[in-house]
Amino acid sequence: MKLGRLSIKAYLGIVSLILAVLIPLILGISHYLLTVLILMLVFIMYASAWNLLALSGQGSLGHAAFFGIGGYTSAIIANSLGISPFATILAGGFFAAFIGVLIGLTCVRLREWFLAMVTFGFAIIVHTVTTELSWLTGGWDGIPAKKLIPVTIPNYILYEYYLVLLITVIVIAIIYLIMKSKIGLALEAIRENELEAKVMGINVTKYKLMAFAVSAFFTGIAGALEIHHFGYITPEVYGIDISFWPIIYCISGGLLTIEGPILGTILITLLDESLKNFGWTYERYILIGLILILVVRFLPKGFVSIPEKIKSKLRSHS
Amino acid sequence: MDIGVLIQILVWGIYAGCIYILLAIGLNLIFGVMKVVNFAHGELLMLGAYAAFWIYTFSSINPYLIVPLSMLLIAILGIFIERLCFRPIMGTGKLNEIFLSLGLIYLFQNLVAFLWSTNSRYIRSPYGEVVVHIGAIKLPLDYLIIIIVTIVFLIAFQLFMKKTTTGRAMRATSQNREAAALMGINVERMDMLSFALGSALAAAAGSLWLISGQMANPYMGAIPAIKAFAVVIIGGLGSIPGAIIAGMTLGIAENVVPYFMQALVAVFGYEMSFTGWKDTIAFLILIIVLILRPTGIFGERGE
Repeated sequence: MKLGRLSIKAYLGIVSLILAVLIPLILGISHYLLTVLILMLVFIMYASAWNLLALSGQGSLGHAAFFGIGGYTSAIIANSLGISPFATILAGGFFAAFIGVLIGLTCVRLREWFLAMVTFGFAIIVHTVTTELSWLTGGWDGIPAKKLIPVTIPNYILYEYYLVLLITVIVIAIIYLIMKSKIGLALEAIRENELEAKVMGINVTKYKLMAFAVSAFFTGIAGALEIHHFGYITPEVYGIDISFWPIIYCISGGLLTIEGPILGTILITLLDESLKNFGWTYERYILIGLILILVVRFLPKGFVSIPEKIKSKLRSHS
Repeated sequence: MDIGVLIQILVWGIYAGCIYILLAIGLNLIFGVMKVVNFAHGELLMLGAYAAFWIYTFSSINPYLIVPLSMLLIAILGIFIERLCFRPIMGTGKLNEIFLSLGLIYLFQNLVAFLWSTNSRYIRSPYGEVVVHIGAIKLPLDYLIIIIVTIVFLIAFQLFMKKTTTGRAMRATSQNREAAALMGINVERMDMLSFALGSALAAAAGSLWLISGQMANPYMGAIPAIKAFAVVIIGGLGSIPGAIIAGMTLGIAENVVPYFMQALVAVFGYEMSFTGWKDTIAFLILIIVLILRPTGIFGERGE
């Protein structure tokens, strides 16, 4: 039974990947559609990276800081050295990871609430620093960022989509391998009971810092990809909502699973986009806030737990 | 450096500190009794400010008389939040509480933006033009009123917690929930009361903030909330005296330090304003405290 379920999961994964590759061919090359899909992929990466940190029991409320740091680093290096964004995206990831370790150093000893407060505050501080250092970051107006694929190439958006898809698949695969490895087990042990984990000989500080670094790294990469897709970056990348999106995706999809953030991102993005086309602005955020509250209250394991819930309901009836 | 200017800045700091203290005490009270941190506390401040704004717009009575009304309204809202959101998920994990308050932040900010737009709102205080002269020092009357009102609130709060039966029951619940329940204290009622009181204090902070000339908009809660969190962390989670000392320190430091920095840079012949770094200073203080003492300065109770 267990094996069968696992293979169903893997099967679904492969089907959705094939679908992702074929979508532009099926629905035609629409600029709007591909933009939505690219952003969806970026946020899948971002949410999965956030999820990895949550796996160690550290719920960050300020991941936009790393998202924006990755973006600004990449944009500034690409602009000043005149090199292609492909190299600078990695630089963005590494710098975000570096800052992540620094913040992690203060956070590893903290309890959940303190950590949430510190990360929440950190995003706001980075926002202030960015707007104040206007000689480097362009202040409130931001700076231009090079496009991933030059706009002059016909159907550039299609190449961009496949590029981001490829990177997303690689990132998800790495995160999956980490979650299934000894590191993932150690992180889970730390989340369940830090003291016990310590007694069992797990170096808690090392693993927590590692989670911070890896999570910040992939978040930085996602941020760099997003801004190189848009072609500019402003301090708005540090907005509170950018910090909250990955959390909403992970919770609604299913926290601490590999498929939860993916499913959550797809479903919430589809909902958000369709409501946007409906002409809704604040209403759709109100709705998303309500969904978050209801999921935490009634479905703490997220959408991925719905099949199981139905199954156990059916079993208890028969 | 001018001593008169310095004292003036000091009073600004105390005034800002008062707002942080009002918020932080509410957070501490709720945490003490329920062991829950409400991250949407800043949104209660925002709603309190909006409540004051609308009551003032429709009645145009003296805005200071509106403060209790706004507190009452938000206290009722707090009871609903406690009943519908926090009580059902109590004990299911701290991360769940954090995520739930996140949903509340989203809900309230956008609900207000939807209903009343994101335009900045303000109230013209009847004492807005009045300036008190003490020697060479000029102080807006509004700031003085707010400092006095906060002190009155703090004394009343302390008397309530120390002298009344309900206050004692609340303190008992925060010390040991099970034992308090066994002694016949209705701990769920204490949860409700603490949330109502905490919300009312946040509403007081919001209304006073608005009356003293600050703008109200749907996103105004975030920054004061962060500061209040910093105050709570520095002062120690659950410690009321800690919150008062930390709130004053933070309010004064974030106003005085930029002034000193400006003076310092001026010595070297540069002219620079550091007021934009206010929030960063609060955060730096927080980081330094946390590196030295992960439980805060006055927090001794390991949870």
